[in-house]
Amino acid sequence: MQITKKILGASALVAASFTFVGAAQADVCDTPSKLGDLGSFEGEVITVAGSMEGQDEKMLLNTVSCFEKATGATVKYSGSRDFAALIVADLRSNNAPNISIFPQPGLAGDMAKEGHLVPLGDDLASWMTENYGAGSSWVDLGTYADADGKKDFYGFAYKMDLKSLVWYSPEQFEDNGYDIPTTMEGLIALSDQMVADGNTPWCIGVESGNATGWTATDWMEDLMLRTTSPENYDKWVSNELAFNSPEVINAMEVYGQFSRNDDYVAGGASSVATTFFGDAPKGLFSSPVSCLMHRQASFIPAFFPKKGEEVANGEADFFYFPPYETANLGNPVLGAGTLWTMTKDSPATRAFFEFMTEASAHEAWMGQGTFLTAHKGASLDAYATPALRKQGEILSTATTFRFDASDLMPGAIGAGAFWSEMTAFANGQDAQTTGDNIQAAWDAIK
Amino acid sequence: MMITRTLSHSVLALIVFIWVVPFVALVSTSLRSETEAKTAGFWTAFTPTELGHRFSTHDKGDDTEILTMAGNILARLNNEASGFPVTGDVQSILIKTRIPDPENPEKTKLVRKLVPAGEVMGVRGGDFVFQTNGDFTWTFEQPATPKPKNLDVFINQNPVFGTDAYIEVLFDNKNVPNALISSFIVTIPATIIPITIAAFAAYAFAWMQFPGRDWLFVIVVSLMVVPTQLAFLPILQGFSGIASWATSMNQWLTDCELTDTCQVASKSFASLWITHTAFGLPLAIYLLRNYIVGLPKELLQSARVDGASHLQIFTKIIIPLSVPALASFSIFQFLWVWNDLIVALYIGPNNADDLVFPIRLQKQLGTFKDQLHLLNASAVISMIVPVLVFLSMQRYFIRGLLAGSVKGG
Repeated sequence: MQITKKILGASALVAASFTFVGAAQADVCDTPSKLGDLGSFEGEVITVAGSMEGQDEKMLLNTVSCFEKATGATVKYSGSRDFAALIVADLRSNNAPNISIFPQPGLAGDMAKEGHLVPLGDDLASWMTENYGAGSSWVDLGTYADADGKKDFYGFAYKMDLKSLVWYSPEQFEDNGYDIPTTMEGLIALSDQMVADGNTPWCIGVESGNATGWTATDWMEDLMLRTTSPENYDKWVSNELAFNSPEVINAMEVYGQFSRNDDYVAGGASSVATTFFGDAPKGLFSSPVSCLMHRQASFIPAFFPKKGEEVANGEADFFYFPPYETANLGNPVLGAGTLWTMTKDSPATRAFFEFMTEASAHEAWMGQGTFLTAHKGASLDAYATPALRKQGEILSTATTFRFDASDLMPGAIGAGAFWSEMTAFANGQDAQTTGDNIQAAWDAIK
Repeated sequence: MMITRTLSHSVLALIVFIWVVPFVALVSTSLRSETEAKTAGFWTAFTPTELGHRFSTHDKGDDTEILTMAGNILARLNNEASGFPVTGDVQSILIKTRIPDPENPEKTKLVRKLVPAGEVMGVRGGDFVFQTNGDFTWTFEQPATPKPKNLDVFINQNPVFGTDAYIEVLFDNKNVPNALISSFIVTIPATIIPITIAAFAAYAFAWMQFPGRDWLFVIVVSLMVVPTQLAFLPILQGFSGIASWATSMNQWLTDCELTDTCQVASKSFASLWITHTAFGLPLAIYLLRNYIVGLPKELLQSARVDGASHLQIFTKIIIPLSVPALASFSIFQFLWVWNDLIVALYIGPNNADDLVFPIRLQKQLGTFKDQLHLLNASAVISMIVPVLVFLSMQRYFIRGLLAGSVKGG
C-alpha cells in the first residue's frame, strides 16, 4: 500500500523523457542522485550468479559497472536460464558465488534453511523498512528461517516487476474499432467481440525451459485476486486455504475460460504449453497479427521484435488487467522482485549491498528500462519511458498490492508442482485434478 | 538379388534424406533474413513465396500538407539497410474497416479485405492505390496532413540469401570466437588424456598377468553404466576441497593475499579434463582391451623371446597396430566432449569468456530464441569442427567400429 502512494506522489512530478531500452548506455552511471563513498576494493572480485540473460544481463552489467568504477572491484556475473538447478549444486558443494540473485523467494528460503545464505544484518533490514515503499513487506519477502528456525533478513529486493498488465497494439485497436475495457466483464465481452469479428483475442505461452508453467501461475494469481478476497490470497499462499478448495479451483476455471478456449488463443489452446513465453507477444506485431492482447508483466517489452522500442514509439501499449465490476474487490495489483542474497561473505560484497541502498544504483537501471523500484529516494525523473511511469500509476491506483504467490510458496510448490501442474492443465488436465495434485505435493513436504 | 539391392539402396537413400533435412534447414535458415526465418519454413526459402510485411506510408513527424503522396512499398520496406532487400511482386494489402451490420442494424461489423494491385482503398480518408511493382499513390480531396499508416502487405518474395548472420555472430562480439577457443581447450586434452591412460590399461588387462585381473576388468566395465548426472554433487565437492587446499598452498608458497589472483577456482578447464577423463575411461579401456587382446599372440611371444620389455612391446608393437582402435575412440570421445552441455554447465568455468560452445548456444537460445537466423549460424559453426574431425578420420572409424569383433583383425 505504501509502495502505491509513493509512486503516485512522484509520478506526478515525472518529466517526460523519451529514451527507450538500450539507449544512452554510455552514461548510465550519470544519475540524478550521486553515489556516496563505498570505499576502495582495488583488485577484489565479486562473483554474481543469476538467471538474467540477454537484454537484462546487459543492463545488469551496465549498472554494476558504476560500482566497479566507484570501488575498483571487479564484478563477474554468470547468468544461466538453468540458474535454479545450478545454484543448488554450487551451494551444496561449497562453490558459492558471492551474490546469488534469486528470482524465486521460495528457493532462497530453502537455501537459507540449508544454511547457505549469509544474513545481511538488521541494519540493512531497518534501512529497507524505512526507505522502500511498503518496506516492511519487502523485508518480509527476504526474511527466512535458518536450520534452527531462527529468522533473519537474507534477500535484498532490487529490480521489481509489475504484473497485471495487458499489452496491445493501439493501431490494431483503432483499425478494429475496439476500446480499452475497464472491467473484467468488459474484457471478456471484448474478447468475444474479437472472436465474432474473426480475430483472435489472446496470445498465451507458458513454455520456459525447466521453468515451464510460470506464466500460467501469474494468470492464476491475478485471477485469484479478482475472484476472491486478498485475505484468501494470503491464506492460499500459506496453504491455510487448500489448493483444491473451491476458491482456487474457481480461479483456475476462469483462467481456463481464457487459455483453454480455442477461439480465444492464437494457435489454439493446445499451443499454450509449447509456446515460449517470450515468443507469445510477437503475435501482436506479426503481419498479419495473430492476436490482439497479451497479459504479461512489465518486463515483456524486452521480448518484443524491436526489443521494446515499440513502447516508446507507440506501436505497443498496455492497460491494467481489470477486476470484475460485480466482485467489489477494488483494484488489485500483482508484483514481484528479484532477491539479491549473500552466499559468500567478503568486505567487497558487503560494499555491493551498500551500493544497492544508494538511490543512484536504482536510477542507473531505471534509465535503461524494464526496471521498477520501491526505493523512495530514487528520482522518478530517471525512468526511461513514459510507459514505466504509467506502470507506476497502475501501482498507485491499486487498492490491493500482493506479491507473486508462486514466489512466496515453498520452492517445491512455487517453482515445482504449481508450474508443472499448470502446464498439465494447459494440456487438458481438469482443474480439480490439477488442484488435488498440487495439494498432494504440498502435503508431502509438510 | 536385384530386388534386395534396390530395397537396401532406397532404405539407405531414405536414411540419408532424414539426416540431411535438418542440416539443410539449419544452413538455409542461417542464411535468411530475420523476418523470413521467423515467418516461413525453410522449404519456402528456395522459391518465390508470399510473405506478409508491415510497412508505414511515411516517416513520423512529416507535417507538410499534401494532396497526393507517392511512394514505393518496397522502398519503404527496404528503408533500413540490410543484406536482405525485399524484392518481388506486391500482391495485396489487408484492409480492416467497420461497416454497419446489415443483419443487426444497431451494431457494426468488421470487414477484412485483401485489396489487389490497382484497386482503390480508403485509408485515413484518402484514396490509396498501389501497383504490382510497389508504387503507390495516396490522394486526398482536400489538402491534408495524414498520420503515417502501417499496412499489412503481402509480397510474392524472391529468394534472397546473405551471410549477415555469420558476420554478426563472428564479429559483432567475441562470444562465439571465445566459445570456439574454449571448446578446443576443453576437448583436446579431454580426448588425449583418457586415450593415453586407457592404452596402457588395456595392454595390462590384455597381456599382463596379475592377481584379480579379471575382477578388476569386470569392475571397470561395469563403471560404464554410472550416469554422469548422478555424480555431479560429489565431484563438485571434491573439486571444491582440492581448490581450497590449492588456494592455501598458493598463499603459503607465494605469500599472496586473499584476492582473486591467489584464489584457485574449483570450476575450471582442469576440472572438466579430469571429469571427462574419468567418465571416458571405462569405455576406452573396454574398447582398446578387446582390440589389443585380438592381436596375434605369436608377435608378442617372439618379442618376449627377443628380450623386449613390456614398455618396449607396448610402444613398438601394440601402439602402431592399434591405430584404428585408438582413432575410433578419439572420435567418440571428441564428439562427446565437444557436444557436452551438462558437464560443462555444472563443472566447467562460468566466466562469460570461458564458456564452451554448447553453453554459448544455450545462452543464445535465451538471448536469440527470437532470432533463429543467428542461433542457426552459431549452430552451423559449432557443427563444422566435429564434421571435419569425422571426415578426416572416418577410414579409421569404420575399421575401429569392428575393433574386437573380428579375431586377429
